[in-house]
Amino acid sequence: MPLLEQSLVDSVIKRALRSGADFVELFVERKRNQSISVEESKVQRVNSGNDLGAGLRIIHQGTVSYVYTEDLSEDGLLKTADLAAQIGRRGGGRFAFAELSGAPRPPQRIDVPPDSVGAEAKIELLLEADQAARAVSGAVKQVAVGYGQSAQEVLVATSEGIHHADSRTRVRLMVHAVAERNGEIQTAMEAPGMQRGFEFFDDTSAAEYARAAAERAVALLDAAPSPAGQMAVIIGNEFGGVLFHEACGHGLEADFVGKGSTVFTGKIGQAVASPIVTAIDDGTLPSRWGTLAVDDEGVPTRRNVLIQDGVLVSYMYDRLRAGQQNHPVTGNGRRQSYQHLPIPRMTNTFIAAGAHTVEDIIAATPRGLYAKKLGAGQVDVTTGDFVFAVTEGYLIEGGRIGRPVRGATIVGNGPRALHKIDMVANDLKLAPGTCGKEGQGVPVSVGQPTIRISELTVGGTGVVPAGAMRQ
Amino acid sequence: MNPIGESLLARCKAQGAEDAELYISRGTEFTVRVYKGEIESLVSAESRGIGLRTFREHRVGFSYTSDFEPAALDSLVDEALLNGRYNHADDANVLPEPRPFEVLTGLASPAVAGVDPQRKIDFALEMERRATSLDARVRRVSDAMYSDGSGQVAIYNSRGLEASFDRTVAYGVLETIAEQDSEMQSGFAFTHGRDMDELDLAGVVKEAVENAAGLLGARPVPTASVPVVLHPHAAAMILGVLGSSFSADAVIKRRSLLAGKVGESVAAEIVTITDDPRLPEGLASRPFDGEGVPAERNELIGAGVLKGYLHNTYTARRTNSRSTGSAVRSYKSVPEVGVSNLVLKPGSLSREALLARVSNGLHVSQLSGLNTVNPVSGEFSLGLTGHWIENGRLTRPVKELTVAGNVIALLKKVVAVADDLRFMFAGGFCGSPTVLIEELPVGGL
Repeated sequence: MPLLEQSLVDSVIKRALRSGADFVELFVERKRNQSISVEESKVQRVNSGNDLGAGLRIIHQGTVSYVYTEDLSEDGLLKTADLAAQIGRRGGGRFAFAELSGAPRPPQRIDVPPDSVGAEAKIELLLEADQAARAVSGAVKQVAVGYGQSAQEVLVATSEGIHHADSRTRVRLMVHAVAERNGEIQTAMEAPGMQRGFEFFDDTSAAEYARAAAERAVALLDAAPSPAGQMAVIIGNEFGGVLFHEACGHGLEADFVGKGSTVFTGKIGQAVASPIVTAIDDGTLPSRWGTLAVDDEGVPTRRNVLIQDGVLVSYMYDRLRAGQQNHPVTGNGRRQSYQHLPIPRMTNTFIAAGAHTVEDIIAATPRGLYAKKLGAGQVDVTTGDFVFAVTEGYLIEGGRIGRPVRGATIVGNGPRALHKIDMVANDLKLAPGTCGKEGQGVPVSVGQPTIRISELTVGGTGVVPAGAMRQ
Repeated sequence: MNPIGESLLARCKAQGAEDAELYISRGTEFTVRVYKGEIESLVSAESRGIGLRTFREHRVGFSYTSDFEPAALDSLVDEALLNGRYNHADDANVLPEPRPFEVLTGLASPAVAGVDPQRKIDFALEMERRATSLDARVRRVSDAMYSDGSGQVAIYNSRGLEASFDRTVAYGVLETIAEQDSEMQSGFAFTHGRDMDELDLAGVVKEAVENAAGLLGARPVPTASVPVVLHPHAAAMILGVLGSSFSADAVIKRRSLLAGKVGESVAAEIVTITDDPRLPEGLASRPFDGEGVPAERNELIGAGVLKGYLHNTYTARRTNSRSTGSAVRSYKSVPEVGVSNLVLKPGSLSREALLARVSNGLHVSQLSGLNTVNPVSGEFSLGLTGHWIENGRLTRPVKELTVAGNVIALLKKVVAVADDLRFMFAGGFCGSPTVLIEELPVGGL
């Protein structure tokens, strides 16, 4: 069943044009969600839901306006078209969209639609994971496991005659383990996910991820408070890429660039990173969390090199900013749902693999922090200043991995840290995440190989300097 | 009763549900963003959604939809009942018995619907214009937005509950950029109220400009142990982090740093924290919670002692307590436990008098990395930005400082609270005055 009959799509666009709009875009979305959670080894929640709605964006004399509705009846949509035309009639703006180019790509291949699998199989998976985590140690006191799936269908039709569709199916596992000993509490989590059907679990063991989370929570019980101060920091691969995403990636989004509110403004062609750094945003990678056939403006996605050998090559654009800044579209126009205007967003963003091995990097580091896994973080896009929690960290002493540390944060400035990356390993991996911006959450991948930053501020509860930390 | 509600509840009964509950929300939104004197975007919409909980043999089922077509509503019932079959049976899964609630006046302003959209656009344009003409170092605005909305929540259940209320909100949000030499700093501020006329245009402009310009030239300082003063917004953000630990659900699941501490001293005596969903100025105010239980004021920490936790109907049943009317939700979720307006009680000192007690210390205006605080252990390591305090006055701006510690230890070190209560959204709608904390080791150069 098409999301909306072609004839209705046409008449809605025609209706909005009739009022004098220069451009009309209709975005229709249907999304089915299911989530299951197991806590205290019991099925706590099996929830499901349906989102259905449409958003109509028009440009009238250079002013962009947007109206959305859940009423997809002919009456409801035509009323929405009238309202969009009416609120947009002020005019006086100077906005125009960049031309949409490129052939649409096919949606990701899904072998077993998750909706076709009963809740029983998913519950079984979660209970297995729960047991695997609890079996790790008596210190594992609480385990929460969850399963989530979503199937989003979108349709983008514009007054230029474009009519593109995409279908995005995602499955994800979440494991959260709490370990406790002598009043000391530590937690760890794992959350693998792909744009695949239920076949994802043919080659992904929920129990293994659960064990890994539980083992890490238990190991953290023996971790010493992290030392604080300036030191070399090795950042692990996979989710370690969140640092680049937050502290640099957002600064390369064309809306911030257009307003001059990032340090990367006007730096195309200039060295913005150490020459061993190449960074890419690629919306075409098979099955990845942030992959799209077409973005939420109907633009086919592509591989965009952002930084090549340390030199800034490109920003990321939506149609509006590409139009304003005279740049071709890049396929980065995204929105959380039909209730939101598209804005420039990342898709799958990562630092490319380098020449070293992780062992090389550790052996070459006399003293520092190995931030193997990063957790939550916060960044000021204007300055690039960041703070990130280290959820799995070790001291590096004499070129070897030393004792685990807890409570470490890394504090610094993204653009400055880019210049201080002095080693890049060959172990590139991506991890799924939800990126928030202007109140809109969209699925993305972050990623990187293991990298070393020659000097960064580490915040921690340990008051003793690292060099003196021996028992 | 609303005809959709009536027919859905009847359908649930007919299909074997002993109890059922509908949560229907409807809302409107108007948002305008401006840039360089022009409208950047206008959004206008009406939206709606419906969430259904079914109860059968103490198993809860839940489903939601934004599609109100008859076929979609039929499958809403089928899905909720099917989902419920898989959930474990728990005697604590019950609907609350309907209790009368006291109406809260003043939550909704009719002006939101009545104000001419052009006036709203002009408000945003005026914010931007004034922000670029107050200080020579602030010539650009990266975000100037006016937004308002109205929402209606209606809850119907098979125990006879029929309750609804309306609420409106209006915001102005402003982010400026200050520049000097090659340095850039951004400054954020917002103003909020029930409608446009309650917004403080001059105040939000002044604050956004001062926040950006005031940080120009910020430098790291050497590591030191000094008294720390938290700006109300910084303190409110810490309050927001603490908020999740008051949830009885978090306590049951061992995710609360306050677990097992009722009756114990968890903060300095000067600290009193309440969650008050009936606060007149509270943007999270509501006459009843997400299950229709009447909202009431709950003192959580009184004179430093933990008084209790927040409950919904489930956690109350499970722990032999009573619901505190703290179920929070949207139509897309089942009722969780959460805060509404969470307030650190102000004292009688003025902000100036509080600052005067510090001869050499740090004033913190921004905390970064609050989402890295471990909600279970309370351990944190945060980035700080602000100003150095010399003899009670803010002097040079400082940045890239870190402070590490524990939320409980921090609460115990509060030595003074001022009288300048201010609110911001930080999980709930959190309010705090300026807070003075005794010596903390602050890491810098």
